[in-house]
Amino acid sequence: MIRWKNAWIVMRKDLAEFKKQKFVIGSIVAMPIFLGVVLPLVMFVPMVTMVPLDRPWDINGLLEIGNLPDDATIPWTNKTIQNGSFDSTILNHTKIQNTSLTHCIIDSCILENTTIQDSTIQKSVLHDSILINVTVIRAEGASLDGRNILAISSDLRFIKTKPSEIDQVLPMMFNMILMIFIIVPATLPTIIATYSIVGEKNNRSLEPLLATPTTDGELLTGKIFSSFVPSMGATYLAFTLGVVLLDIVLIPKVGYPILPNLTWILSMLLLAPTACLMSVLACVLVSSKVSDVRAAQQLGGFVIMPVVLLMLGVLAGFIFLSPVMIFIFAGLYGALDVGLFLFAKAIFNREAILTKWS
Amino acid sequence: MITCERLTKTFQSVTAIQDLSITIPDGCIFGLLGPNGAGKTTTMRMLSCLIQPTSGKAHIDSYEIGNKEDAQHIRKMIGLLPEVPGLYETLGAYKNLDFYAQLYGVPKKQREESIQTTLTNLDLWDRRDEPVGGFSKGMKQKIAIARALIHDPKYIFLDEPTASLDPMAAKVVREYILELKKKGNTILINTHNLSEAERICDSVALVKNRIVKVGNPKDLAKGLFTRTINITIKKIPSTLLKDIESFSLVSQAHVQGNQLILNVKNPEEDNPQIITWLLKQGLQIQFISEEEHSLEDVYLKLIEEAGQ
Ligand SMILES: Nc1ncnc2c1ncn2[C@@H]1O[C@H](COP(=O)(O)OP(=O)(O)OP(=O)(O)O)[C@@H](O)[C@H]1O
Ligand SMILES: [Mg+2]
Repeated sequence: MIRWKNAWIVMRKDLAEFKKQKFVIGSIVAMPIFLGVVLPLVMFVPMVTMVPLDRPWDINGLLEIGNLPDDATIPWTNKTIQNGSFDSTILNHTKIQNTSLTHCIIDSCILENTTIQDSTIQKSVLHDSILINVTVIRAEGASLDGRNILAISSDLRFIKTKPSEIDQVLPMMFNMILMIFIIVPATLPTIIATYSIVGEKNNRSLEPLLATPTTDGELLTGKIFSSFVPSMGATYLAFTLGVVLLDIVLIPKVGYPILPNLTWILSMLLLAPTACLMSVLACVLVSSKVSDVRAAQQLGGFVIMPVVLLMLGVLAGFIFLSPVMIFIFAGLYGALDVGLFLFAKAIFNREAILTKWS
Repeated sequence: MITCERLTKTFQSVTAIQDLSITIPDGCIFGLLGPNGAGKTTTMRMLSCLIQPTSGKAHIDSYEIGNKEDAQHIRKMIGLLPEVPGLYETLGAYKNLDFYAQLYGVPKKQREESIQTTLTNLDLWDRRDEPVGGFSKGMKQKIAIARALIHDPKYIFLDEPTASLDPMAAKVVREYILELKKKGNTILINTHNLSEAERICDSVALVKNRIVKVGNPKDLAKGLFTRTINITIKKIPSTLLKDIESFSLVSQAHVQGNQLILNVKNPEEDNPQIITWLLKQGLQIQFISEEEHSLEDVYLKLIEEAGQ
């Protein structure tokens, strides 16, 4: 049984100590901001200014590519031509609400609470719509992941046009930025967590601490959270900053704040914390076995391997970070976390920590 | 009550302490005395459930050392001052004490009051938020002692409590220890400071990786030495030494200035005869005293013997 209060006390003490180390705080905050904010901006700003604004970038359509059937046959062409009854100027950039549309071409529109039947939709945003026998061509926004589509008939088809170069590059870059926000929380703990036990041992504060009635589990939990909290704090800070700045840069091109989308939010809520925890645990584990801070940090560096593997998979195109994939990986990391915690607790040995110096 | 039966701790090849058997009754101040590396700290760590005994048994009240379930109970009853203060150097004295008070589950109100009282007594209340890293060694030691007592433990283990304190501060600490004893606390002290042990300990154990001798510090000298009598004489004739050596009651004699120093086996019985004889020789005796053997003499002699 862990008395959470004791873990909480240990964490608060560690954080109080941490607060005094201005340089460590500085590097912990600076690293994610540099990697997750400054670097992406340096990549995006030239692109935004150089690429001509011929049409809105199709970022989400491609980001959500995993949800689109590859089958892109063209029976729609005839239908559209035959039944097109709306003037494109009327349906362009129009917001249609609570309407029933039949045999329409809908281009660059926002449709809310709308039933769409036997129609073609281009570059539009769908909200709470019912789609029956509809073909969707390069529709944009939050609609295509199915969140806001209330019902879809079996004949629904998604068609994508051939993506431009920028459309191909952007998702890659987005994935890379997202991976930075997962790698960073897995790296930061190697700075803090390795210090948490080895540091106490070296300044001899461990002995009186171990003499208190706190249990191994409580001590470990406190130590884990005192590394986890600042790591995630710095990550979320950089993430918020990054998302806001990227949106500011991209809005002129995309037309609406594209970030954070579902994938990004899920990654931050599930993947980043589990990856961070994995790293914290491994560092705590290592530092309770090693008596030198530097050795602990280096060994701790190995533990971000599962995260690095994910990144390589993503960058090489083997893994596409869809919400489902995020759940899978977060589950995997979570399971590893539980295993690591139990292992750390099992091998946490007060005597060895206190008396082994080699 | 603390009892140890043949308590032994071995580190790889080094035996830190072997077959330590002692009993520390409640309400007493017990000193562990011994040279560097004698195993004092090791013993204290075993009794604080920080390290496991290699063999042997020890109990604190009804709880057993080395038993995982009992360790929680034992830790609650003990206040430990380790060899090195081990404070959190970047934190203030208040935070340091408060952290421990919280871990020991001292209620908030009581915690605040006792920390304020303690720090006021230590003259540190105004500096309570300064990082203790900047404090002197002695101040740190005092804070560490206060930390060991913050939860009002029944058993207090102090590893060289006065080692880094100036004489004044050491005296204050000693008086405080005696006060704790009056309150009914049981105190175990590791020390090299023999006069300190002599002054405050009810009982001491001389250890050197094993127990050398246990007892009241005043009784330890008994039977260890032949007893020495100093007689100051106004004028010592040069022949006196030779004459007195023929005296069967005296095992050894020498002269130092105007002092005649005699080793006597049984001074209570023999001294009157010796004095009478001296007076008969027409000598003028100014002072007679028995040379007291301090704990230091006892210590040096016993430790030397133990080394052989
Ligand atoms: N962690 C350890 N690993 C290996 N040997 C140890 C360890 N701790 C103590 N020892 C050995 O055990 C012996 C007793 O050490 P201990 O620290 O108990 O002595 P002490 O009486 O406290 O000495 P001092 O007066 O110098 O503090 C020494 O020989 C020491 O080298
Ligand atoms: Mg010692």
